[in-house]
Amino acid sequence: MISTRTIRNLKNELSRSFLAKLGLILVGGAIFVAVLAPLLAPHDPTQQMLQVRNQPPVFLGGTWEYPLGTDALGRDMLSRVIYGARTSLLVGVVASGFGALVGIGIGIISGYYRGWIDDVAMRSVDVSLAIPGLVLALTIFSIIGPIAINIPDPIVALGFAQEMPDSFTFPGTVAFVIGVIAVRQFARLARGEALSVREEEYVKSSEAAGASNIRVMFIHVLPNTMTPLLVFWTLRLAHAILTESTLSFLGFSGTTLSWGYDISAGRDYLGTAWWIASVPGVAILFAVIGVNLLGDWLRDALDPGLQEGYE
Amino acid sequence: MTHNDASTTSVQRSAGTDNEPDFGPNTLLKVRNLSTRFFTDEGQVNAVESLDFEVKEGEVFGIVGESGSGKSVTGLSILDLIESPGRITDGEIWFRNRSLADEFNEQQSQAVRDEFVNLLELPESVHRSLRGNSFSMIFQDPMSSFDPTSTVGEQIAEAVEVQQRTSSNPRSARSRTQGYGFKSMVLGSILPSKSFVTEPSMERAIELLELVGIPDPKKRAQEYPHQFSGGMLQRAMIAQALAGEPDLLIADEPTTALDVTIQAQILSLLSDIQEERGMSVILITHNLGVVARVADRLGVMYAGEIAERGTLKEIFENHTHPYTAGLLGSIPEIDEAERLRPIPGNVPSLLDHEMGDRCYFADRCPKAMEECMEKPPEYEINDDHRVRCYLANREFDEDRSIRDHFDGEGGEPS
Repeated sequence: MISTRTIRNLKNELSRSFLAKLGLILVGGAIFVAVLAPLLAPHDPTQQMLQVRNQPPVFLGGTWEYPLGTDALGRDMLSRVIYGARTSLLVGVVASGFGALVGIGIGIISGYYRGWIDDVAMRSVDVSLAIPGLVLALTIFSIIGPIAINIPDPIVALGFAQEMPDSFTFPGTVAFVIGVIAVRQFARLARGEALSVREEEYVKSSEAAGASNIRVMFIHVLPNTMTPLLVFWTLRLAHAILTESTLSFLGFSGTTLSWGYDISAGRDYLGTAWWIASVPGVAILFAVIGVNLLGDWLRDALDPGLQEGYE
Repeated sequence: MTHNDASTTSVQRSAGTDNEPDFGPNTLLKVRNLSTRFFTDEGQVNAVESLDFEVKEGEVFGIVGESGSGKSVTGLSILDLIESPGRITDGEIWFRNRSLADEFNEQQSQAVRDEFVNLLELPESVHRSLRGNSFSMIFQDPMSSFDPTSTVGEQIAEAVEVQQRTSSNPRSARSRTQGYGFKSMVLGSILPSKSFVTEPSMERAIELLELVGIPDPKKRAQEYPHQFSGGMLQRAMIAQALAGEPDLLIADEPTTALDVTIQAQILSLLSDIQEERGMSVILITHNLGVVARVADRLGVMYAGEIAERGTLKEIFENHTHPYTAGLLGSIPEIDEAERLRPIPGNVPSLLDHEMGDRCYFADRCPKAMEECMEKPPEYEINDDHRVRCYLANREFDEDRSIRDHFDGEGGEPS
């Protein structure tokens, strides 16, 4: 599926487009920060220092001790933003990945087999699409309740960083509900693509040669539907990051180390300490823009037909 | 017995299962009363209706007809590749397969006669498992018949592999999915470094490419379909179809998308391989020149029916059906610079409610008579020649002509 030609196209597009580079830098930076959080964070993001609460960032007259200021409980904002990147990226990747895996599976099966399988799957998707994503997410959330999974932090466990949280809380329910929302759109798109690919002569040719349904689906249908799905996945990834923040903002989360949670906490101080809500807001902005630019890069590189000014 | 009496022994339209099929000593495939219909929003389309024909071992059987006469649907019906909204509604497809016949003799004796099995009575999975190793198909447009995301070699090797898995334990659904490992297949479709075919299959694919005359097959096998020319791809497709060493190859307009010089090469390649392996070929085409070159016997299709069938010689020199005459009259000849005599009018709509119960060709036929308003049965002119036309046992009678009846509808004969 990923041929040398594809890789060459990706490189060409990257060298041509400034926005692609920017997207790669933003996303690469976010991943770097998220992975190495215990090494990069100057303070323990959960440690409360009430004597230094609501400190302004350094460019507003604060100190270098807390470059982005502190929140209402005196926790270092920079450390919180760095750790928040973990939550956002991990939830984003897991949720959109889950949505993609299940949704593409359902979509390709129903597009390939058609008939009653297709009817059942697609009508269910239609019905669920009548419910707004956030409402559906909140409903599922209130049914299963918050599930937080503690993952030991390997960097701390191996002794590379001291005085940092020794485990990282992954909000399982949040990831799951965001994934469920995404399943519907993935199923729709994959089904449409599979419907058109299954009519291709090479699918018939492979069937005539005796290939089984599963084989045809995996080897011929899936790779040929991949390009739009990959681009769509980046959009859903950005959407998942946003939804995670939204849910945390609304208080539906299993972790307190999240950009959305910080915005929610900083909301009460918007008049006096606006940076508490703004700093994580800017982080969300950069992450979402970065992922979207990355998606544009993939789209332009993988599907030259969609490219502007393509000769 | 006069000639006329003999010819009235017709195959009845209602020939059903009670009517025992008789097989010649070297029959490979016998299609009886096959009907394939499409149920569309506009109504029922009778793409293939009450089709009868027979393919012998080691022969090339040509199916000729205009676009939309049901040629391709016939081919797809044999492979069970008809898809919704289409369905095979009636008929029998008898195929010689000793081991299958033995296997099903006890449990489904109505599906077995001697060495033959009725493909339409077998479970669908069994019918499907015959694809590739008993019959295979090559398609009209080689450019679109290869998956652009994998190499040509991989796709041929895939066909080899599928067949090897099947033949190790034929007709078992497990062997088709289990053997080649779900995991490796998934990995192969995702990772660039992995291949979803094994080394021996790839070697066999390279041999097959060499067999169909592709120069430097080792290198070409690593290339993607867009790096091949049309003629090369058609050769590769033949290689793919040969991977399972089928007894019957269905070639659906194999030369239509190619230019004339390449057409000739592909045809001689096909007939060389056919002779070498002694396999049978059903050659579907609208090109009488192609058929004349390679076919042993042929059937002329019109509006989903076989209008006339017989040996090449009989059809070309002794044809009875005015449609066959019309087709032959439409071939340009270099030395006689006459105007071509095309058949006036168009292929009729195959919608059921528009078809009526008459000879479907009557409205375009220069020799249509009153009796043609009733459906003609299939007359047997001799052992090698059958025709679905009243002219088989009577002469054209000007007085009973209904040519005028259709004027303006089908156009004037020139």
